[in-house]
Amino acid sequence: MLLEVRDLRVEFRTRDGIAQAVNGVEYAVDAGQTLAVLGESGSGKSVTAQAIMGILDMPPGRITGGEILFKGRDLLKLKEDERRKIRGAEMAMIFQDALSALNPVLTVGDQLGEMFVVHRGMSGKDARAKAVELMDRVRIPAAKERVRDYPHQFSGGMRQRIMIAMALALEPSLIIADEPTTALDVTVQAQVMDLLAELRRELDMGLILITHDLGVVADVADRIAVMYAGRIVESAPVHDIYKAPAHPYTRGLLDSIPRLDQKGQELYAIKGLPPNLMKIPPGCAFHPRCPMARDVCRTDVPPLYEVTPSDGTRVSACHFWRECLDDRVDGHVNG
Amino acid sequence: MTESTATSTVEPILEVTGLVKHFPLTQGILFKKHVGAVRAVDGVDFTLAPGETLGIVGESGCGKSTVAKMLVNLERPTAGSIKYKGEDITKLSGRALKAVRRNIQMVFQDPYTSLNPRMTVGDIIGEPYDIHPEVAPKGDRRRRVQELLDVVGLNPEYVNRYPHQFSGGQRQRIGIARGLALRPEIIVADEPVSALDVSVQAQVINLLERLQGEFGLSYVFIAHDLSIVRHISDRVGVMYLGRIVEIGRDAEIYDHPTHPYTQALLSAVPVPDPEAREHRERIILVGDVPSPTNIPSGCRFRTRCWKAREKCEREVPALAVPAEFRHGAGPAAHASACHFAEEKQVVPPEESLDDQAEGAV
Repeated sequence: MLLEVRDLRVEFRTRDGIAQAVNGVEYAVDAGQTLAVLGESGSGKSVTAQAIMGILDMPPGRITGGEILFKGRDLLKLKEDERRKIRGAEMAMIFQDALSALNPVLTVGDQLGEMFVVHRGMSGKDARAKAVELMDRVRIPAAKERVRDYPHQFSGGMRQRIMIAMALALEPSLIIADEPTTALDVTVQAQVMDLLAELRRELDMGLILITHDLGVVADVADRIAVMYAGRIVESAPVHDIYKAPAHPYTRGLLDSIPRLDQKGQELYAIKGLPPNLMKIPPGCAFHPRCPMARDVCRTDVPPLYEVTPSDGTRVSACHFWRECLDDRVDGHVNG
Repeated sequence: MTESTATSTVEPILEVTGLVKHFPLTQGILFKKHVGAVRAVDGVDFTLAPGETLGIVGESGCGKSTVAKMLVNLERPTAGSIKYKGEDITKLSGRALKAVRRNIQMVFQDPYTSLNPRMTVGDIIGEPYDIHPEVAPKGDRRRRVQELLDVVGLNPEYVNRYPHQFSGGQRQRIGIARGLALRPEIIVADEPVSALDVSVQAQVINLLERLQGEFGLSYVFIAHDLSIVRHISDRVGVMYLGRIVEIGRDAEIYDHPTHPYTQALLSAVPVPDPEAREHRERIILVGDVPSPTNIPSGCRFRTRCWKAREKCEREVPALAVPAEFRHGAGPAAHASACHFAEEKQVVPPEESLDDQAEGAV
């Protein structure tokens, strides 16, 4: 396994109390695999990614437990200077908003070249040549001329390509992309996702794609991990989850999206609101919004049950995953 | 909902003709010299029938939000007319304008910045009554506001709370309640759900549909999310670089698009079905949208179009039913601004899904 997150726990100390952002997340990615982490805002998907990269703001953040195994080593036990060597060279991150992630007062060539100067000790001239090569690779037209341009001189789609180029610069084995296309228009989103998928194949990298878009997930992911209130509620191969979700939250999400190829009357809506992270409901965190909730859900935190029949690759944090699964197989669609 | 014939026989509640908005680009500090213009909206025509929902889709910068602002008179058009029940509202001023504006209200995109953080919810929703006191006498306002809160699914006792005490979805409901306060006939909603989480989006969409039935509202629904627009709209207009390039009933646009831009846009939408991954044809457009300060000659889409020929460079295609479809009555016979329009199915047909869709119609 390239990366394995085990029972990760992160909290934030705020003026109003302690927010439990991540409460025992478990997921794993192999080389050459795309894992989509799906969740709404506040589900802890980005915080988990930041903990893996080692860019969590501490304080107010604090990792209170768990392990992050990267190529067998627990990153949480490393010293900061050891982590810095890994960051950028072996794992890299693509952010949502390229305009604020890039430095506005440096040319893109300088920012791309910096990777080679810092990590590889190259001269400025060689680094610039490398920058042009990278820009070519992510198909920015006229790379040679544009290497001296500043981020604001590029369009949104082109800026996101520069972010991708930067992440790929040192050919890392793991890329974490946090909502990489959310700020882009659909036609540009398609270009960028295609590019990312192609480069991932070429370099045989592991990719963690953080998103809230079920459409994007269906297009590119091998596996999905669905997060709710800082936990994984379901994790499965992509085809299984869309065919028959084994958690009522996943099912609610799938049912609530309007689809181009089916115009229904009323959309299914998950009732209520995502929980306040300062007071997560006892038992299953989803129970106040769940149509299947029973007494046991209000008291017992569901473990990650292994969903059968499958080859042990599928888990669900629902006491009644079997019912949830059957409902969908029978063709029952809510709403 | 509205039948295809209804739009042509019933008098439209709103009729937009040749709508143009150019923002001047100036140079110099003291003597502002005009050096060009951002042609944000560059000739838009459409009609809206009573009780109908018209969806407008397009990518960022296509001018859809500027159209919305002109409809509610937040921007003055450079040219063109907006007729509300036959009366051109762009020519009105003073009392006559105020009376019309009462009937056309807006719901904004961002529920975090469109509500004043220092006003209570009651004051926010009741503020329209200060401007139009004839709608609700002073003593009656609190009761009206509480009624509105109830209508949009919020607890009427929240009337004294402040916006920060609500979640995004709840704030959007407050924005909708404010839009409804004056009992308007038309609501212009500019990306009303794009700032919300998926599970909350569905709640707000359902609310908007319920209110439409309850109050007989007409909607102009602007969004970039094609699936949501299809779900809520009776007719859909696709905008590109300041113009509508294709317009028709939702099934005509989504299942029988004839304009290459619409086809590319639809094919690029990720379908939440991993099985569709393999047998789906995607049209990936090259390049970015050109700058609205420097619009290509002829057809404005030609720089990214795979079908572009010499004619596209010379002649601006009119938004009309293309000649080859004019005599048929099929779903391809709807307005499309392309010289070489042809039908193409881009949303994957799937037996099981088709059955469901037909069952729903």
